[in-house]
Amino acid sequence: MMVKMEKVAKSFGSLEVLKNINFEVTKGEVVCIIGPSGSGKSTILRCLNHLERITSGSVYIEDELIDERVSGKDQLKISQKKVSEICSKLGMVFQRFNLFPHMTVLQNIIEAPITVKKVPKHEAIEYGLTLLRKVGLEDKKDEFPSRLSGGQQQRVAIARALAMRPKIMLFDEPTSALDPELVGEVLEVMKELANDGMTMIVVTHEMGFAKEVANRVLFMDKGEIMEEGTPQQIFSNPKNVRTKSFLQKVL
Amino acid sequence: MDLNKLMTYMPALLEGARNTIVLTVISVIFGAILGLFLALGRLSKNKLIDRICWFYIWLFRGTPLLMQLFFIYYALPNINPTLTLPGQWIPALLALALNSAAYLAEIIRAAIQSIDKGQMEAAKALGMSYGQAMGRVIVPQSYRRLIPPVGNELIALLKDSSLVAMIAMTELMKVTNQISTRESNAAIYLPAAVLYLAMTTIFTVVFEKLEKKYSVYE
Ligand SMILES: Nc1ncnc2c1ncn2[C@@H]1O[C@H](COP(=O)(O)OP(=O)(O)O)[C@@H](O)[C@H]1O
Ligand SMILES: [Mg+2]
Repeated sequence: MMVKMEKVAKSFGSLEVLKNINFEVTKGEVVCIIGPSGSGKSTILRCLNHLERITSGSVYIEDELIDERVSGKDQLKISQKKVSEICSKLGMVFQRFNLFPHMTVLQNIIEAPITVKKVPKHEAIEYGLTLLRKVGLEDKKDEFPSRLSGGQQQRVAIARALAMRPKIMLFDEPTSALDPELVGEVLEVMKELANDGMTMIVVTHEMGFAKEVANRVLFMDKGEIMEEGTPQQIFSNPKNVRTKSFLQKVL
Repeated sequence: MDLNKLMTYMPALLEGARNTIVLTVISVIFGAILGLFLALGRLSKNKLIDRICWFYIWLFRGTPLLMQLFFIYYALPNINPTLTLPGQWIPALLALALNSAAYLAEIIRAAIQSIDKGQMEAAKALGMSYGQAMGRVIVPQSYRRLIPPVGNELIALLKDSSLVAMIAMTELMKVTNQISTRESNAAIYLPAAVLYLAMTTIFTVVFEKLEKKYSVYE
């Protein structure tokens, strides 16, 4: 099992954002999470790489318990080194790219491998260039992010995450901040990744992408996974009334 | 005062001005280093560190610089003779650096806090520790935003540095005072003022250039 959440709950103060979340992702699987805004989709991803801490439940990455809490109390001691190790296994792509604006494209990509993983610089550069070629931006390696279009920035952000050689990629609405004409190039890169066998969890509003690429779709509403199934089941034959009404609105 | 007389005093005034610049620049450099640590302390999750840094800033911003200078120069030796600092340069530099650190700390803290939260998240998601994220991602991005307020602070400090004339440190103000007394003619303050203006103008221009240079990525 690449990712597993067991009875995960998360509150911000008195606001319950995740309730009894249980799900698993197997190797090579592409799971899309859909649902209305504020339903807790981002929070699920952020609890996997410790950007947020769960309130209770357990989280496993590659069958290893990486967080277990009961009512906000740690049941498991996790060092900074461990958190860093977990993050190296999980690549994250944000809605707003979050590239480092003071670094060039290539510097963005080699920064973490060098500082976190202590990869020799020439190796990091070599692999960085390979990744840039993969996302079709090798000629932009010395540009600053501000000089790139949104779609290009997001492709760099994907390359930056891949530079850590993650086992799992997390995408949090990677195309939501893009102009419509730039969405395709990013989805194309993501499809390629999926075809290469990358395990992916993708929060998205791109139903076309979910239909075409996902092995499984989770529908979330109000902090719960309301329905889960193949794209065929979810899009053609939704069982839950809230899934139905959500899909009616977005399709 | 006639022009010839003025010209004979010019070397002394210029040397005073040079000391003023050296004093100001060194103070700002040390003040910025200490200020960075104070700012990081204020942002620390450790409550005690935060409180200590808050106290420092509160103390040095809440009392007159002249009093801080007198405290270092006159009071410390009275408290304990081993606390006597040699000469004028060291107590003057110490007072200006400690004082500007408090102001710079707040400037640096504001600049760090103005960096988009997504930057820290991206750094952490890539596995960086808090220290690595600060050192490699957050603080370097704050540099450009720091340039204008640090320029203002430098100019303010350059003018405030005239206070160290009170402990007989021979910078521009002290030199001017001496000439004025010797000549019984306060007109010498006019060229001194021009020199202060020239220095503040040079720093303003330098900082505007710096700001342009660092804006390449924006
Ligand atoms: N740091 C936070 N503090 C308080 N509330 C938060 C925080 N982050 C998210 N929330 C709240 O949690 C809920 C779920 O947020 P999120 O996971 O971002 O939803 P989604 O990604 O599905 O739009 C929302 O109501 C949001 O306002
Ligand atoms: Mg979200």
